Amino acid sequence: MAKRLPLLCCIAAYCVGAHQAFARGYEGAPRTELFNPALTSCIRDTATYKKAPPYVIGFSNAGLGDSWRVVALDEIKQGAQDHKDVIKKLIITDAGHDDAKQVSDVQDLVSQGVDLLIVSANTEKALDPVVTRAMKRGIPVIMLDRRIASDHFVTYVNASDPMMGRLWAQWIVEKLHGKGNIVILAGQAGSSPSENRMNPALEIFKQYPDIHILDTVYSDWSPVKAKQVMQAVIAKYGHSINAVWSAHGLQVPGSIEAFREAGFKPGEIPMHTTADVNGPLKMAVQYKVPMLEVGDPPAQYRLAIGVALKVLSGAPVPCVVTVNSQIAVTPGDETPSVKGDLPFKDMIVPNGADDMLITNDLGPDYTPSTAHIEYPH
Amino acid sequence: MSSTTISGKPAVRRPLTPATARFLMIGMLMAIIVAIGALVADRFLRPANLANVFEQATDLALVALGQSLTVLTGGIDLSVGSLISLLSVLTSGLIDGNGAMVLPVCAGVILLGVLVGTLNGCGVVLLKIHPLIVTLGMGAVLQGVALLYTRSPVGGIPDGFDSIAYGRIGGLSVGGIAVLLIFVAVAVLLRRTATGRAIYAVGDDRHAATLLGLKVRRVTILVYAASGLFSALTAIYLVARFGSGQPYTGADYTLSSVTPVVVGGIVLSGGRGNVLGTLLGAYLLALLNNLLNFLHVPTQIQLVAEGLIIMAAVAVHVEREKRA
Repeated sequence: MAKRLPLLCCIAAYCVGAHQAFARGYEGAPRTELFNPALTSCIRDTATYKKAPPYVIGFSNAGLGDSWRVVALDEIKQGAQDHKDVIKKLIITDAGHDDAKQVSDVQDLVSQGVDLLIVSANTEKALDPVVTRAMKRGIPVIMLDRRIASDHFVTYVNASDPMMGRLWAQWIVEKLHGKGNIVILAGQAGSSPSENRMNPALEIFKQYPDIHILDTVYSDWSPVKAKQVMQAVIAKYGHSINAVWSAHGLQVPGSIEAFREAGFKPGEIPMHTTADVNGPLKMAVQYKVPMLEVGDPPAQYRLAIGVALKVLSGAPVPCVVTVNSQIAVTPGDETPSVKGDLPFKDMIVPNGADDMLITNDLGPDYTPSTAHIEYPH
Repeated sequence: MSSTTISGKPAVRRPLTPATARFLMIGMLMAIIVAIGALVADRFLRPANLANVFEQATDLALVALGQSLTVLTGGIDLSVGSLISLLSVLTSGLIDGNGAMVLPVCAGVILLGVLVGTLNGCGVVLLKIHPLIVTLGMGAVLQGVALLYTRSPVGGIPDGFDSIAYGRIGGLSVGGIAVLLIFVAVAVLLRRTATGRAIYAVGDDRHAATLLGLKVRRVTILVYAASGLFSALTAIYLVARFGSGQPYTGADYTLSSVTPVVVGGIVLSGGRGNVLGTLLGAYLLALLNNLLNFLHVPTQIQLVAEGLIIMAAVAVHVEREKRA
């Protein structure tokens, strides 16, 4: 029990932070921890990083470019603002999804003498050497939402990519009764959310010999690119497509649009998986598309600041910190393994913009295009 | 008031050569950046930060060196980005963490880079197609091959390989020092050898160079082969820096490789300029990015600032050309 105590304390502390502004569903401790079958959990001792405030925290962002990352950036600013009494400065760099620039950004943040680094890696392998070097220099690094390939960091704050990938895959398999044709609509090649959702999903699919992967296409998290690639896939496979496994909701509107333009009537568009974005949920109702939503809340960015302060206070932290993902399924589409946490319609913001992130925790009045988040910098 | 010499004769003030003027301009800009950096952040002038800047310029400088040679002949190589992508995935994919494979794979990748460059050069001189079209087409082919090989990061590197990028001698990056030496060697070769002078002559006036009996075709193929060589070296350097190859890793270098060339004073129509200007251009851009990070300037503004610097550098150059 004594061994378990730090873990339980951590779980209790983090589940308090994992709240939502919109519909409320599951609010317990992170299921990835509670359902973890291992006898012991990985807890990181951070005593060597203990420092007295005020702190300078550096955040190396992979880039913006989609609504999720815009909201996430505001979340981390809000997190710093929440703790402005101990955070002197949050220095943010943006690599514009360029590995070379992000490597330089990390080096520049180290040069500026930050007390702790938060890194959202553009691609998991390219940032590995520079992050590993920062750790070797004694600077604690927290990976956020996008990790590096190795474990050379203090902790990884995310929404459990493998769980999302597996749930989506298991739902599709059960909906198809173990037989059907699937298209994988991935995100950005080489980015950890895309790879770490897709690979566990593929492991599930492989267990079913009558499940066939027709094609794997990359959307770069963009509905525009998703539409282009899905148009080509639909032209090739047409009505033989039974399901689209999508690594997030950002690209789903493009896919559904492609099906509609190919002549698929409401009720004919194959099932899709999604996360976070309002538009796909509205389209699911409008065009009768069976859909499973498993959230990847950008609130994890706000939570990361709290985790950073724990590290700098020398408190032990889990090696992986997960935020809860809300699960919602279109009515009548629940399966033996996948049930919703709340009614599907409650997840939708009917008057909200299509690109609205329903899983942010910045309040119902928050609008990314007009918001100006004050933060210490 | 005019100055006089000891003998009493009026001093003849030699006008600055365009290359010297360009070096002075880049030096001045770098001095301004350093002065601003020193004012806003006490850590800016620390040796560790300046060593980082030196390191960060390496990849761009290396690929821009090859681009400089093609531009000096009045051409351009738009296949460099895709070639870097392809060669980077081949490097890490074939090495795949096996130390014994490092030398043969790197040798093979360099040979392949030279071969692709040679094909570009042959396309330009034999088919008589504009280099922009030939290299753009080659770039598309190479990107396709890279994606056929892999659609995501592939392979890995053995321990120690990353010292090409992160190793230090006297506090300075090994790769950075190597690139500095390569630039000096190429600059000397361009000035002191017949082939070097022929590159300038071809870029200055291809027809006149032909009449002079210079081997224009051979020179043209040579510069594209050299561009392929430096793209291959850039790919190997990036694999060392990133720990793996990625199918789009070179995409940004296609056009960004032209930036230090232009900023460094090599005329896009060919025949004039100095590759050491390209090196200074790469250092200037790395220093600028470093300063903007220290100033906490958002990336969007960084892009605007970089664009303005390029435009200013070219505008000053054009103005000097007009006066000349």
